[in-house]
Amino acid sequence: MLENFSFRTIVEYLPLFGQGLVTTVWLSALSFVGALAVGIVLCAMNLQRGWLFRTPAKAYIDAVRATPLLAQLYFLYFGLPRLGFVLPELVVGILALSLNSGAYVAEIIRAGILSIPRGQVEASVASGMTYVQRMRLVVLPQAFKVTIPPLLGQAIVLVKDSALLSLISVAELTRAGQLLASDRFMPAEGFLTIAAFYLLLYYCLKGLATLSGRWLGTAGART
Amino acid sequence: MTKTGMIDFRGVNKWFGALNVLKDITLSVEPREVVVVCGPSGSGKSTLIRCVNGLEAIKDGDLVVDGQRLGDPATNMTQLRTEIGFVFQSFNLYPHKTALENVTLAPIHVRKTPRAEAEKAGRELLAKVGLADKVNAYPAQLSGGQQQRVAIARCLGMRPKIMLFDEPTSALDPEMISEVLDVMVAVAEEGMTMMVVTHEMGFARKVAQRVVFMDAGAIVESGTPDEFFSHPRTDRSRAFLSKILRH
Ligand SMILES: Nc1ncnc2c1ncn2[C@@H]1O[C@H](COP(=O)(O)OP(=O)(O)O)[C@@H](O)[C@H]1O
Ligand SMILES: [Mg+2]
Repeated sequence: MLENFSFRTIVEYLPLFGQGLVTTVWLSALSFVGALAVGIVLCAMNLQRGWLFRTPAKAYIDAVRATPLLAQLYFLYFGLPRLGFVLPELVVGILALSLNSGAYVAEIIRAGILSIPRGQVEASVASGMTYVQRMRLVVLPQAFKVTIPPLLGQAIVLVKDSALLSLISVAELTRAGQLLASDRFMPAEGFLTIAAFYLLLYYCLKGLATLSGRWLGTAGART
Repeated sequence: MTKTGMIDFRGVNKWFGALNVLKDITLSVEPREVVVVCGPSGSGKSTLIRCVNGLEAIKDGDLVVDGQRLGDPATNMTQLRTEIGFVFQSFNLYPHKTALENVTLAPIHVRKTPRAEAEKAGRELLAKVGLADKVNAYPAQLSGGQQQRVAIARCLGMRPKIMLFDEPTSALDPEMISEVLDVMVAVAEEGMTMMVVTHEMGFARKVAQRVVFMDAGAIVESGTPDEFFSHPRTDRSRAFLSKILRH
């Protein structure tokens, strides 16, 4: 089988893969920033006492978690133009990933905040801090440490999910593999190469997670 | 109007669901007075002092603290809490802050004391509780007794009018209890108004003007430490004392 494997074609297509990789990286990065923004807002809504903000936040999170990302992507891709928003595929893609990942990020942040012992909150309340002060000075700095590893895990998921954007013809990494597969009828070469690139991205993020774990570990020794 | 103490419970009731945790509590704590609260586990001691700074809300009756009626729309609870220090059984220090930062956090952000001034005061307070060499230590690097002393310094940093203690030595190894009690005695001798939930008789005899004995949500007996410990008047307080004296 390997004698048929054309490394030459892969090399020939390398610039295309390179561009795809770069696109995947920056669109994932942008989507992750978007997901953080969406997640923070959703989480803030979800932590409110009244139902007014909580119910819509919970409904949104459930809806995102219950439906396939592909369905969400198509929903935006075909749905938005009908509402009069004609956006470039790339923008729709980043929007879909942000909105999807944001629901998971919201739950990660919420778990981090809820992991802070009640006594911490009581101590800050007793000292006369306002809600904002105790969030800023006591709860969030501690929650931050707990959320970094799972957030990086979510970033890994997001990078892999970004492959779906190839279906709305965004020229990212998977799209590059598809092109090689269909132009030259070399699916093995195309998809094995992109798999290698995804693996590379995975190890980068995992390395970051390990580093942050080590940093948090030393910080953790102080907690 | 009757005379008002620093802390004034008048017919206070509180329920947790169907449980009447505080039953018609009437108790007045004068300025500079030290009141020790004791009683069996679950009798409502924690709930009683947690009501004073609004960590628990009361259902009916009046609770007036430093002249302000709790639950009154005119009472700014956040403001009032800055005048009331609370020492928890489990210390509740901020683990991500050093001892000094634990002490200066609220003065800087709540009292708006300039940082340099707050740090100077913080160092002095930590020295006062015997921890001058631990200013830069994190809570996890301190023993239980040291953590509790930082927690007391953290309250004193706000220059409160009242200090509340909820079993401050119950989570400590026996050899660390006296270092914490010594600090509390010093605070009492400086004239702080204090409500202290504790079973430490030595502390009560030394600084308390009054011991209040609670059982099943009610104040059953109240008197000077000597009266209470030497001549308990009710069966329930006698039974309780015989239990805590056994060890
Ligand atoms: N948040 C709460 N919800 C329901 N019941 C509570 C709560 N806090 C305390 N209780 C109950 O109220 C009673 C008094 O509790 P507490 O004030 O902690 O007693 P003590 O400090 O004397 O041990 C106990 O029966 C306890 O189980
Ligand atoms: Mg208690």
